Amino acid sequence: MNGIHDLGGMHGLGPLVVEANEPVFHHDWERRVFGMFLPIFATGTFNVDELRAAIERMGAPAYLNTTYYEHWLHAYETLLVGKGVLTQAELAARQRQIAAGAH
Amino acid sequence: MAISPEQALAAAAAGASARVAQAMTPRFNVGDHVMVSNINPPGHTRMPRYIRGKRGVIARDHGVFIFPDTYAAGRGERPQHVYSVRFTSHELWGTHGRANDELFVDVWDDYMERA
Amino acid sequence: MSTNHNRPLSEVEIRVKALESLLVEKGLIDPAAVDALIDAYEHKIGPRNGAKVVARAWTDPDYKQRLLVDGTKAIAELGFSGVQGEDMVVIENTPQVHNVLVCTLCSCYPWPTLGLPPVWYKSAPYRSRVVSEPRGVLQEFGLELADSVQVRVWDSTAELRYMVLPERPAGTEGWTEDALAELVTRDAMIGVTKVVVPGK
Repeated sequence: MNGIHDLGGMHGLGPLVVEANEPVFHHDWERRVFGMFLPIFATGTFNVDELRAAIERMGAPAYLNTTYYEHWLHAYETLLVGKGVLTQAELAARQRQIAAGAH
Repeated sequence: MAISPEQALAAAAAGASARVAQAMTPRFNVGDHVMVSNINPPGHTRMPRYIRGKRGVIARDHGVFIFPDTYAAGRGERPQHVYSVRFTSHELWGTHGRANDELFVDVWDDYMERA
Repeated sequence: MSTNHNRPLSEVEIRVKALESLLVEKGLIDPAAVDALIDAYEHKIGPRNGAKVVARAWTDPDYKQRLLVDGTKAIAELGFSGVQGEDMVVIENTPQVHNVLVCTLCSCYPWPTLGLPPVWYKSAPYRSRVVSEPRGVLQEFGLELADSVQVRVWDSTAELRYMVLPERPAGTEGWTEDALAELVTRDAMIGVTKVVVPGK
């Protein structure tokens, strides 16, 4: 698809920012998102091309305003719900429980 | 059902190549002049827009791989050759290109025509 | 690991915890497997692996030959293989040719030899610009190339993963492989800088 992910040759995407001595992960949640990658694949629910395609469908504003591991998280949620492994309702309910400190 | 830590580390070290062990006659040979098709599929594709309709030269044949355009859509592996295609900077960027500079892009067989 | 228990969880933290806890509850993933993978990629798999490959190539011409012909196999000789490095191509920088890597579509990167990619490599500014104005991007990394040097950009849009074999810096004749490996940086193996001897 002619999506925002296809960035080669575009102008106007801002300055190149390079962090000196960058850590492998910046937040603990990034660690968890990365670490779930292979275990989720091992369930056989989707392949890596489907993961890329799910990221590409997230929409230009969301794609540009979120980070690499948020793209992965979006793809996990979308594909796991789309394939019927989880439901949107149970995901939302669990998020509410966690936000309330009840899980 | 869930993989164990040992299985996870073994899977990481083993990898999962998209290379397909299937002999197929390549449609192009190193040195062939090619033109990238101007396709605009609404689904997943690994052909970046900036090479569409551009002319390049086959620099290397990487062998046979799964085709992501079909594999991402549940339409099978459709294995085919992937080639490293060399483009001049001027071909891709016109007058904003630089004489002598080059770009190499890995391109699936289905994305190209003979130029 | 900074966990501030007084701070409310952010939206993304809530989403990650919700997803992981549901998958664990359903028996689909083992959190210990997640921990093991995090530890491996945070502490064991990184650019020091690639640096060893480069130092070997600099000191062993036969190895270098094998590396340039079949990167995957030669890298595996040093024990490095796996996810996002299944099919490796190593390209050599010379005084006449400078190579630089990108993945314009999705940030593909050779994990077994370079580890996980830095944020700038995955960023829209790098991915958009390095293909169309590589010399300008390299300048921002402090690398000025003469007009006579050819720049080759490699966009890893398919299943091949690339690594640059940088030029061995002058003044390192007789150095041990270990000492040479210490000089090799991640950025030089992406091709946005050269390898230099500190203080020179």
